[in-house]
Amino acid sequence: MIEWLYLAVQAAALAMSAWFFVDTARSQRVGRRHLVGVAVLEALLLAQLAASIAIVPGEAGGGKALFFSYLVTTLLVPVAATFWGSIDRSRWGIGTVAASGLVVAALMLRVHQIWEFQIHG
Amino acid sequence: MADRTADPRSLAAGFGRLIVLVYVVFAVSAGARALFQVATKFGEAPVSFALSAIAAAIYLVAAVAIIRGAAGLALAAVGVELAGVVAVGALSFAVPDWFPEPSVWSHFGSGYGYVPLVLPVAGLVYLLKRRR
Repeated sequence: MIEWLYLAVQAAALAMSAWFFVDTARSQRVGRRHLVGVAVLEALLLAQLAASIAIVPGEAGGGKALFFSYLVTTLLVPVAATFWGSIDRSRWGIGTVAASGLVVAALMLRVHQIWEFQIHG
Repeated sequence: MADRTADPRSLAAGFGRLIVLVYVVFAVSAGARALFQVATKFGEAPVSFALSAIAAAIYLVAAVAIIRGAAGLALAAVGVELAGVVAVGALSFAVPDWFPEPSVWSHFGSGYGYVPLVLPVAGLVYLLKRRR
């Protein structure tokens, strides 16, 4: 795992979540600008996955299957939340996508722990 | 995407949509983890791993019940979930020997940022409000 890329993912996930929760309070519907925000987060997550595919198999520690299953799950959460949230007319459509940013941050924390303590450590 | 809009009166619309997302995330993550633990090292902490699997099943029932609009079943599942997290949370402090490894509900869900404790309370408030 590349440390600055990990921190960039966390920053993007939390920033996206904060932005979308502000739009929840303002009763915004899911719009194109929100999809761009989700796409930016997904691009960073894909970069993390690509970097991990390059780096992780060469490391000595265990827990690699667990690492990749968490990382792929993390990648799918904002996409699923965007589909699930965008069919809602109320403010909680974008609120659901906002919550998925917090889920990504929590899951990435776990991915990073597996990297630190099992794979790289 | 505005052409696909959900029935605003459905149980999974509005705030219910966010609740369903969290329930599905917990059903999948707690469920996959519990299955892995039961399959590979059940003997190390049978009580914890069995309770985690039960918790995951209840999360799944709650999510499906809210999506399908089964208000009674959803209320029952969320009620059992709240009782479970309080009972297991208290037990994990009273009899730590039974929990050599934490379950989802150990220490009131501290390993999952206390979301397992907040989620059923939020779910109950939402479901009871919708009933009126």
